[in-house]
Amino acid sequence: MSIYLPQLATVTDLVDETPDTRTLRLELQDAAARARFAFKAGQFGEYSVFGAGESTFCIASPPTRQGFIECSFKAVGKVTTALREVNIGDTVGFRGPYGNWFPVDDWKGNDIVFVAGGIGLAPVRCVIWNVLDRRDEFGDVTIVYGARSVEDLVYKRELQEWSSRPDVRMVATVDPGGQTAEWTGEVGYVTPVVEKTAPAAANAVAVLCGPPIVVKLTLPVLAKLGFADEAIFTTLENRMKCGLGKCGRCNIGPVYVCKDGPVFTAAQLKQLPPEF
Amino acid sequence: MSIPPIFLTESTLRALAADLLGAGTQVIAPVAVEVRTSPSASASAACRHPGAAPVEIEYRVLGDAAGLDLGRRLPVLSLKQFFLPAHEALCRWRQRGTTVQVEAVPTEFAPQVVLAAKPCDSAALAVVDKVMNWDYADELWNGRRAATTIINLACPVIDESCFCTAVGASPDCTKGADALLTPVAGGYLLEATTEKGWAFLAAHAERLKSDAGKGGEEPLGHQAADERAAARARAAANLEIDAASVRAWIDSHFEDPLLAALAVRCNGCGACTSVCPTCHCFDIVDEEEGVGRGTRRRCWDTCQAPTFTLHASGHNPRDDQNSRYRQRINHKFAIYPLKFGEVLCTGCGRCTRVCHAGQDLVEILAAIDVVARRPSTTTPGAPDTEAAS
Repeated sequence: MSIYLPQLATVTDLVDETPDTRTLRLELQDAAARARFAFKAGQFGEYSVFGAGESTFCIASPPTRQGFIECSFKAVGKVTTALREVNIGDTVGFRGPYGNWFPVDDWKGNDIVFVAGGIGLAPVRCVIWNVLDRRDEFGDVTIVYGARSVEDLVYKRELQEWSSRPDVRMVATVDPGGQTAEWTGEVGYVTPVVEKTAPAAANAVAVLCGPPIVVKLTLPVLAKLGFADEAIFTTLENRMKCGLGKCGRCNIGPVYVCKDGPVFTAAQLKQLPPEF
Repeated sequence: MSIPPIFLTESTLRALAADLLGAGTQVIAPVAVEVRTSPSASASAACRHPGAAPVEIEYRVLGDAAGLDLGRRLPVLSLKQFFLPAHEALCRWRQRGTTVQVEAVPTEFAPQVVLAAKPCDSAALAVVDKVMNWDYADELWNGRRAATTIINLACPVIDESCFCTAVGASPDCTKGADALLTPVAGGYLLEATTEKGWAFLAAHAERLKSDAGKGGEEPLGHQAADERAAARARAAANLEIDAASVRAWIDSHFEDPLLAALAVRCNGCGACTSVCPTCHCFDIVDEEEGVGRGTRRRCWDTCQAPTFTLHASGHNPRDDQNSRYRQRINHKFAIYPLKFGEVLCTGCGRCTRVCHAGQDLVEILAAIDVVARRPSTTTPGAPDTEAAS
């Protein structure tokens, strides 16, 4: 059987996060495959609408919740536009899980700061829930999330839930001008918020994902706070097709993002050619 | 196990091809194909080869043994097309309402034989085997590789664009192949180098016996060795590089202006990646074939196109042609060797010959080799970068 053969999955729920971002919940149709399916936080898949093609997104739901997977995407291309047209009950294709993962088990006892920008919260959300579902195993949990505007914040219900939890420190911020009259969060870019709210670096790891500019500006802030490059984890986006290390598309320097990644430490990022 | 080389005449070789065809085995071999292009292109081809009919050599599925071209010229496209077709089905689907059925494609293939393959083309298959099998095994590639017996024909070296010996292949190598034919007086010497090759000789022992005793083996062996050594020397005269230094230099000079300078003529048409026996990058697309059904296909793609790496957001990590050409050089001569232990190039020279802009890989590798061997990091023609590293 070919490694390119998709599994079939049923859309069992959908949430419109923003005017152009949607989350789909998918359940594999084959009961045995569904029971067998396992993944780790940070892995991704190839999702398809038959006739439109395949597209690559992380698995945005945590491995601690079984029986389904979720993905969140912006409708910007052919496949994502088609995925935005599907309804509950429709069939889509899925291949995966692919790629490496965040070493969550290695973080037991550590404080964790999550930093995300825009739709970059999707892969981070998977790790956040994975950690919160095993809350006792970790130290302080801090979440810093920024978006261009209040309208662009994804997972709004979950942001509320995280804010109201006593065991999570949650700060959301929107770019200047992106706030509404009711907005009670921060206004400004994520970097000063990270500087203010991050835990002491001594016993902490950082998980970072967002547009290239957010990653680029946040890395020096984390460094200034004392985070070692090996304690900063991010997940890279690159255009992919196969997800299996064959088609060559996601190759940058010595890595194939789909197989050697998508999760990299800041130390590993620094070894790569400046090509992002 | 080792079987001494077998002498066979050209007519026996053609009879062998006929035996295979008669038994229903698909045979792939070089054939002369009449160039069918626009009248002006035909006219220009005729001008270049005055008096000769405008023909090109192509690997084709052989219709009859007489079509086998033994002129040892270079086929326009490499053997890649028979292992990673320009486009092929990955699966088929049927959709009715909310229900979808997906049909797998077969990954087992009927046995086939390649006759008179170019050594640089068989070697390329062995190189690409690596990427097709790290962790995930590509069954479509592997299925075709397993089903195919490849018999190389030692190459005389085509022209000054050949440089197989600089990149780990040679005009008489059997890398990726199962047997080798070498021209000698009155015919060919055939020797098998793999179990598949020995099995092939055993299966056709009757036919291959027919010329026994016609050539005295010892002098023919010397003839073959001389022929092959002369070809290796011709290829080596075109280009010699220190592959390890070239790899190290490319790996450590990502933003060196020399790489941009060497890319300057490239206009990103991607012809080089199509004709390349080792370029294997592909796209996956859905093709609708009526309402509610269609085929998911993979097709050759090129790293030289801006869309290759274009993100949906509009961001493109390689948004100019310099960076795309640099990626091609990097992937072939630094990344692939570091990852898979082999240069992603067998020196066939097709990219140079096909390039309408004049990008010449022999020239480019020679230029990199010069700076790579040089102890200082000074780049010629770029005086503003003379700082020592």
